[in-house]
Amino acid sequence: MAILFKNFKFNIFRTLPLIMLFFISLHGSSIIDLKLFSINISYILVYFWVLRQPATMGYGFIFISGIITDVVFGLPLGVNALSLLIIAAVAAYVRVVTVNITLINDWISFIPALLIANLIYFISLSFSNISIDYLSLFTNSVFTFAFYPILWAFFSLFLKVIRF
Amino acid sequence: METSREDVGIAVRSAFLRKGTQQRFSLLVLVIISISLLLIESVETKPLNYLRSIIKDTIYRSSLVVSGPSKGFNYVVQKVKDHTNLYNNLNQLKQENNQLKSKISREDFLKLENTQLRKLIDEQVDSPINLVSARVMLDKQSPYLNSFIINIGINKKIKKGLAVKDGSNFIGRIVDVNFFSSRVLLITDLNSKIPVIVEPSGNHAILSGHGSDLPDLQYLPENNKVKEGDKIYTSGKEGIFSPGIPIGKVKKKDGHLNVELFSDLDQITFVNIVLSNSEENK
Repeated sequence: MAILFKNFKFNIFRTLPLIMLFFISLHGSSIIDLKLFSINISYILVYFWVLRQPATMGYGFIFISGIITDVVFGLPLGVNALSLLIIAAVAAYVRVVTVNITLINDWISFIPALLIANLIYFISLSFSNISIDYLSLFTNSVFTFAFYPILWAFFSLFLKVIRF
Repeated sequence: METSREDVGIAVRSAFLRKGTQQRFSLLVLVIISISLLLIESVETKPLNYLRSIIKDTIYRSSLVVSGPSKGFNYVVQKVKDHTNLYNNLNQLKQENNQLKSKISREDFLKLENTQLRKLIDEQVDSPINLVSARVMLDKQSPYLNSFIINIGINKKIKKGLAVKDGSNFIGRIVDVNFFSSRVLLITDLNSKIPVIVEPSGNHAILSGHGSDLPDLQYLPENNKVKEGDKIYTSGKEGIFSPGIPIGKVKKKDGHLNVELFSDLDQITFVNIVLSNSEENK
């Protein structure tokens, strides 16, 4: 009975990042807009969990969550899905080539992930009729990068709880 | 050197092609699907449009359900605020009540006069514009795009390009239509360009959004006589919107001509969609 309860608790905790990803996509808060700047929470969420606990964040789910974000924000289908998959790809690559897990390693390798994802975002939108404020996109990238350690600390703590 | 290149190749292959534990799809396959979706986005065929409408309607409804608790929370916060302002509101309401009482007696007289005059000229009261009302279903503002979702679509004969009004003020146009929902692109969005006319100078211009609350007035003639406080209306030049729908008034800011909108776009719950001019239908 105790083992069953422990397994149940483990499964619930393990799916929480995925539930969070879908919740913020459906709620339309994957990009938190704070008037002066904005932060892309879904990028951080996907990058961290694919890097540290890939089993919790299936690529198929990341794709669907990207499609949901596209629909909610009124962007062409596939823009956010592609960006999120690029973030996941960089995270998967970093996971293969690194041995030590430190905040600095994760944080620095998050820079190319953000750059490539936003480049893809930029290219995808330039093929559609939709224009966006590219300065906002740039400030969003800077503040998403700056905000990463805070969520890193929070998720690391959460990860310890799951593993415990 | 060659070994390190091989290592990179192995790492890239591992990241993109391997499914890994509990992964059903490889990243490469999903990336290809995403690119294909982007490529077919511009293709307009009936089955694809149906599929898109079904997907969007389903996601909008799910989003509405997920937004329920936060909407409820905001409602509770608003209620608490209202209760704290109860005393001020009471005094204000008393004043308004007195003013209304005095107006009612005058209104009764005007009604009577109106009925008599209508009988006299045998007028058939008919609104020149065909309006349909809708409720704002989702208002998820992204930092890049200013738009919201309304709860009617093809089911109420909504089409792309129709004008959307808050009361009598123009606030945007329909850009995406599904079966039971539509997306309204607000005039503050970067992608919004509306032909307008400035009164009383009569100059034509383009009202161009750029993400902030004050859209720009562009392409005015060089010797224009536009002053601060001048009223802005739709010019109807592109033939989709009716001319003369009020939008806002001119505001000069840092040497630029901006437009202060008559409607507060953050506070919209219901909107009117101008289906067509009844005169055009005739």
